Amino acid sequence: MQKKHHTAPVNKVMSLKQAVAQFVQDGAYLSFGGIGDRTPTAAIHEVARQGKKNLSLVSDTSVSFVHDSILIGLGLVDKFEIAYNWGGIWGSDAVYRRALEQEIPQRIEIEEYSNLSTGMRFLAASMGLSFMPVKSLLGSDIPLHNTRIKIIDDPYTGEPVALVPAAYPDVAFIHVQRCDPIGNAQILGHIGDDDSLARAAEYVVITTEEIVPTDEIRRHPNLTCIPYYCVDAVVHVPFGSHGRGCSYCYAMDVPYGNQVNKAWATQESFKRWAEEWIYGVDDWEGYCQKIGWDRLIRLARAEQRYQKYGEVR
Amino acid sequence: MMTSNEYVSDYTLMELMAATMAREFRDTETAFVGIGPPLIAAMVAKFTHGPNMTIAVEGGAIGSAPRRLLTCIADSTIDEKAYSCLPMWRLFGDQQRGFFNVGLIGAAQIDKFGNLNTTAIGGYPRAKVRVAGSGGGNDIGSSVGRLLVMMRQERRRFIERVDYLTTPGFLSGGDSRQKAGLLGGGPAAVITDMGVFRFEPDSKEMYLASCHPGLEPEQVKANVSWDLKIHPDCTVTERPTREQVEIMRILDPYGLYLGNGRAQMADPEKGFDFYMKVLENSYDMMEQLYKQKS
Repeated sequence: MQKKHHTAPVNKVMSLKQAVAQFVQDGAYLSFGGIGDRTPTAAIHEVARQGKKNLSLVSDTSVSFVHDSILIGLGLVDKFEIAYNWGGIWGSDAVYRRALEQEIPQRIEIEEYSNLSTGMRFLAASMGLSFMPVKSLLGSDIPLHNTRIKIIDDPYTGEPVALVPAAYPDVAFIHVQRCDPIGNAQILGHIGDDDSLARAAEYVVITTEEIVPTDEIRRHPNLTCIPYYCVDAVVHVPFGSHGRGCSYCYAMDVPYGNQVNKAWATQESFKRWAEEWIYGVDDWEGYCQKIGWDRLIRLARAEQRYQKYGEVR
Repeated sequence: MMTSNEYVSDYTLMELMAATMAREFRDTETAFVGIGPPLIAAMVAKFTHGPNMTIAVEGGAIGSAPRRLLTCIADSTIDEKAYSCLPMWRLFGDQQRGFFNVGLIGAAQIDKFGNLNTTAIGGYPRAKVRVAGSGGGNDIGSSVGRLLVMMRQERRRFIERVDYLTTPGFLSGGDSRQKAGLLGGGPAAVITDMGVFRFEPDSKEMYLASCHPGLEPEQVKANVSWDLKIHPDCTVTERPTREQVEIMRILDPYGLYLGNGRAQMADPEKGFDFYMKVLENSYDMMEQLYKQKS
């Protein structure tokens, strides 16, 4: 399947409000990138703030409290295609548990994969294909409950192999460290599946810690794992992954996640949390203000003590 | 400091588990490791008998040399001084190609053939207790050379057949794993807070290989819900050495994984300052450790 629209090398800088309003429809199939690090949390808050509903989401690993679970808890998600959704060091995810154990706030359809097989779904779509083969999933219960996974005999070796369907999201949100105004995005550190995701989605919104001149991009072209032609919007969102970290920019805020975990304990307290932290502010800058710039700067200093782009630490 | 291979008696149960797990890694191996106690075990191996071991984590980083404790399989720490940062599918592709000798993960349930459940307990998709899902667990269990498992020992976790088979062990035993087309070698060892378990070469059934100090095989068996086989040469687990314990206390000085540090971090008033202290103080201690061990 080929892309439906062509994207030119023109200035694509806009606000997050505008990007979400322009590209996300109710009922859209969305993917929020990052893995543990570079979580596009600002974008998730904005999608929630604009009340986009009946969404389908696809992710490899989503980290609770800053990712897909926010939209699930708000009742905005009908279908969830996922390999892992949990809090990690932050503990268990009460929102996800309520959704799958008690159908609160509503039933969600779930379609599960593993991390590699989700990566293969994005890889397939990134090349315009309809599936990819993978040697995971075999013998497990995952394909028993997900009939979109096909186990076949490999036509070349005769051995069993799993086929996973391509994932072509309508819109992907990807947070990066550096991007120029036309959308050449550079990721520092591990990439997750974002290079494939940027090619798989029809529309791509890059949120970036820093907007840099194109000449700066040209100094290190190998870092550009997402070229401009994948990208439809460039949004400047410093600290856009707060909660999680952003390699070379700021460290993960572990105590923040602990607090959010407590706030999500019941559906009522989750709603109060969302009222305060999502609906109670105008935008991500309002959120940062509320978290406190001092705190954010301390997280940046902590990260940059260990790694800072272009310097030996 | 840290030259002693003598055994210590003042260790915690988590430290014993991590030290025991560290012994499963070999020098020069490439290891795929999950975060928390598994990572501490792998780091202990690297700083003792395995200086040429390379650790990779799921997010896509290989061979990092972080000077702070990792808090996630994909936080910024995993990129610190890494050999290489890759897309995630590429790293898992490398594993499928056979570059990874050993992998270490945890689980909520395990069965007698070493199959793991990290998805749902009591029904699916509507579960009595829902947990995280596969993540990379299924991929590691499918393709890694040897799979190591670290988990808590409880009767309800060690069951005849897992409620949901997320990660393949030896499936139904015998040659069922190969027949399913899986490439990796399957589980090699399971380490819990009570003992070490391994698998029979032909039947692939789990057996008790050693009990932790102070425990009898029958006590372990009482915490397994099938009729567990006990190896005739079942031994007592080797205690941690002074060197292993000292390294663990440098890696996790505030007990985030091996103690109660996470509770302190959750304190709404003092949690953030405590966390900043953990992060800031780690640099010098870890620099020193790398210097001593290089």
